[in-house]
Amino acid sequence: MIDPGRKTVYWVIATLSLAMLPQLVRMPPLVAAIAVLPLAWRVTAERKEWPALPALLRHAMTAVGLLSLFFSYGDLSGRRAAVSLLAVMLSLKMMECYRVRDARLVVCFSLFLCATQFLFAQGIVMPFYGVTSVIVALVTLTRLHRNEAWSHEGEPPAIKSSLFSELGFSLRLLALAVPAGLAFFLLFPRLSSPLWGIPETTLDSKTGLSDSMSPGSIQQLFMDDSPAFRVEFEGPAPRPDERYWRGPVFWQFDGKTWRQSFYSRNIVATSRPDAGQSASRYSVQMEPNERNWLFALDYPVTVPRDTRLTLDYQLIRRDPVIQLMQYSMTSNPDFIDAPDLPETLRYQALKVPEKSSPRTRELVERWRRETPDDRAFIQRVLSHFNEQPFHYSLEAPLLGRHPVDEFLFETRMGFCEHYASTFAVMMRLADIPSRIVTGYQGGWYNPLGNYLLVRQSDAHAWTEVWLPASGWTRVDPTAAVSPLRIQQGSLGAMGAPRHFLDYSWLRQARNSVDIIQQRWNDWVIEYGAGSQARLFEPLGLGEMTPARLVVVLFIAMGIFSAILFPLVLRIKGPGYKDPVQQIWQKFLKRLQSMGFTALPSSGALELADAASLQIPSETDSIQRIADLYTRCRYSPDPPPLNDLKHAVGEFRPNKKAG
Amino acid sequence: MNSSVVSTQERTEGRHSRLLAAQEAVNNILLGKDHQVRLAFCCLLARGHLLIEDVPGVGKTTLAHAMARTIGSDYQRIQFTSDLLPADILGVSIFKREKDTFEFHPGPIFSQVILADEVNRATPKTQSALLEGMAEGQVTIENDTHVLPSPFFVMATQNPVDLVGTYPLPDSQLDRFLLSFSLGYPDPVAERELLTSEDRSRMLNRTEALLTPGDIHGLQEDCEKIHASENLLDYIQALLLETRDERWFETGLSPRAGLALLNASRAHAFLENRDFVTPEDVKTIFVGLARHRLSPTSGFSQSPEEQIGELLDQVPIP
Repeated sequence: MIDPGRKTVYWVIATLSLAMLPQLVRMPPLVAAIAVLPLAWRVTAERKEWPALPALLRHAMTAVGLLSLFFSYGDLSGRRAAVSLLAVMLSLKMMECYRVRDARLVVCFSLFLCATQFLFAQGIVMPFYGVTSVIVALVTLTRLHRNEAWSHEGEPPAIKSSLFSELGFSLRLLALAVPAGLAFFLLFPRLSSPLWGIPETTLDSKTGLSDSMSPGSIQQLFMDDSPAFRVEFEGPAPRPDERYWRGPVFWQFDGKTWRQSFYSRNIVATSRPDAGQSASRYSVQMEPNERNWLFALDYPVTVPRDTRLTLDYQLIRRDPVIQLMQYSMTSNPDFIDAPDLPETLRYQALKVPEKSSPRTRELVERWRRETPDDRAFIQRVLSHFNEQPFHYSLEAPLLGRHPVDEFLFETRMGFCEHYASTFAVMMRLADIPSRIVTGYQGGWYNPLGNYLLVRQSDAHAWTEVWLPASGWTRVDPTAAVSPLRIQQGSLGAMGAPRHFLDYSWLRQARNSVDIIQQRWNDWVIEYGAGSQARLFEPLGLGEMTPARLVVVLFIAMGIFSAILFPLVLRIKGPGYKDPVQQIWQKFLKRLQSMGFTALPSSGALELADAASLQIPSETDSIQRIADLYTRCRYSPDPPPLNDLKHAVGEFRPNKKAG
Repeated sequence: MNSSVVSTQERTEGRHSRLLAAQEAVNNILLGKDHQVRLAFCCLLARGHLLIEDVPGVGKTTLAHAMARTIGSDYQRIQFTSDLLPADILGVSIFKREKDTFEFHPGPIFSQVILADEVNRATPKTQSALLEGMAEGQVTIENDTHVLPSPFFVMATQNPVDLVGTYPLPDSQLDRFLLSFSLGYPDPVAERELLTSEDRSRMLNRTEALLTPGDIHGLQEDCEKIHASENLLDYIQALLLETRDERWFETGLSPRAGLALLNASRAHAFLENRDFVTPEDVKTIFVGLARHRLSPTSGFSQSPEEQIGELLDQVPIP
């Protein structure tokens, strides 16, 4: 029996539920339903006192669970499927969990399940959640242990342990484990890449820039406030209108969607910018997005490890970014990209699908005849955007067969990708090579942490045109429509809140609070193999190899154990003190203050006789208290405790004189 | 009192007051030995047997005699000597020519109260004849089992073992006695009164029975109902455990001794007119219960009593 009437089974269920909750969110609906069902059954069964399920039904449920896992994941390898398997099995275990042994098993595995959440999320909230789960698990284990210790006696004694004392006990246990946890965190040898580092993009719905751009694709990102990356500048940060974080570059246009070209992805840049006069140095801490692009200001001078710089100056990493990643960058904004444009690339940058956008084609041809100069033509198009009633808006209507035509002549409402795309097409029709660059623009400068926070909602798309002598030149048509977008960011430009919680002060507060997350990233998440190797450099110990780390770890654990062991032995569980004894001890203390010391081996009545001899004036009250105490302690029908309490309360040593 | 409408409680109270009167009567004869007299009554109420140890002439026999008289049972005195044979205690079968059979003539052991005077003067064989009867409540003679009467209360006296011409009782047989004590010399006041007042043996002859065997049965049952709380049992166990520590005694107290301690403590509480046992009851009984059962570890110069007193001081009352 798990508990004779003390409802510890609810604690077991709570422990498992807490451990399972973060995983439940990531599970496919079918698996999540199967994981919740046995728990719900058990809670109802406890309340209604239903009997246990027959074994056949339990086996059938297990088979259903396994099948649904296969059905949802394809196979059971990979962290997501494995964790789901663990959660579902533990939940199914609750259908047959009626003994202390089983309950303890469930609780211990719940602790493991609780730890698996760090495979998926390492944000700052998770440790707090984890600690909560561990405390609940410890309370449950304490209760289980007590029930088991008393299992031969029937019901456990009515111990006056409140939930608070149990929580306190668990907290103390946890506090004792902190030094060991810290030692393992600092010293346990780390791998330079995690064991579970297999990206599972098929199931991940991480938002971020993708390898194509169509109307509406960046608009989606606008709703997402999660951080994309953080930047710390060595010098002053560049002005907001210079903060163009270069990401995927698109060359090919099929009339609606922009895609990357084979050349731009695979051919490495031939000329590297050098760190000139106005180069800025900064380091980027990038949140995992399971994509390959690294972001940098124009134009990257340095290239991080395992990354290539393509001919259009994208930084493409060999492996997707699946964990927090830090890289240092230097950028030179004065670099001239491609003073000469090779013919193949020129051809790429001018290609527009035949027969698309006939009205735009016509307009561009007319304007081109009037304005043969490239720069003047660009200016004319930008002025058109600026002077005609074009709007920078989230509520862009859906576009049909000729998106460019419809946008330019009819809807005139759109997001940055509409403007960039339309502008690039117009340039190409006018025989000016152009391409689309996506990335992030702006960011929020956190003065507390002295860093720039770039969120997914800062995603942006702009255009580059190739001009003789100046090479590829950035032109941002959105800036012509809504200069605020560039000055204050997309949220500032939009004016109206995105949803009911979207207030500017709240955004401000969130941006400020982000410093906690940034510090967490710096100190905890970023602590990896490299930082570990340098851990004892300040002490002059040189580089720490894994073997050395293990030695230090063992020494540290030895020291902790030597200190903690006596402490652990002295810890008492939620204890119980006999109230009669407490009052008696009080009485003995008062006697002592009157000069009478009681032997522990003398009985109360004996003691009263001896004390009466020494303090004859108090004989009556001493005898009365001793008699009450003896009866409280040994009689089959003891007098009310309050009698003794009052008798001792009225017994004042000061009265001795009177 | 022989009315059938008398309630149980009244009956209990009636025999309890008669018990106290009996105790008082014995105290009147044996001057200044209240404690020992109380222990003797505890022993009777707890269905045990009593061993009185002391030098000749301090009143051992007088106490036993007075007890036997006041509790008014069928009483026999056996004077143990070195030539006493088992048959002298148990009885013999004699061939009856008229009936052509053997007829059993019961010995003095077939009485409710027995005074076994100077029990250590007899040979071990004779001693064991008595002690077996004490332990089992029955004797077996030539394949016939004879049940001893009830209540069955043996008071044995013995001279200190170092006197000439004694056969000390073995430990296993000492264990049959619930309590033992020595009387010691009377204090001056009591001794003066003894010297000036009338002859003890004449007083004894005049003493009347104050209790009936039925009363004793009832009292013994009353004692068993006395409450012993968990805390008290903790204390008794702590005491037993301490005696088993090698630094005190060669061997500790047996579980049987522990049970005897509890029963005698109950009887003591009953005599004190309480319905529950206190640690003081246990402490009072403990010396008498342990002194003939425990022998101090060699190297101690103290007497068993002193040693036991010291042990009591070491065990805190829970």
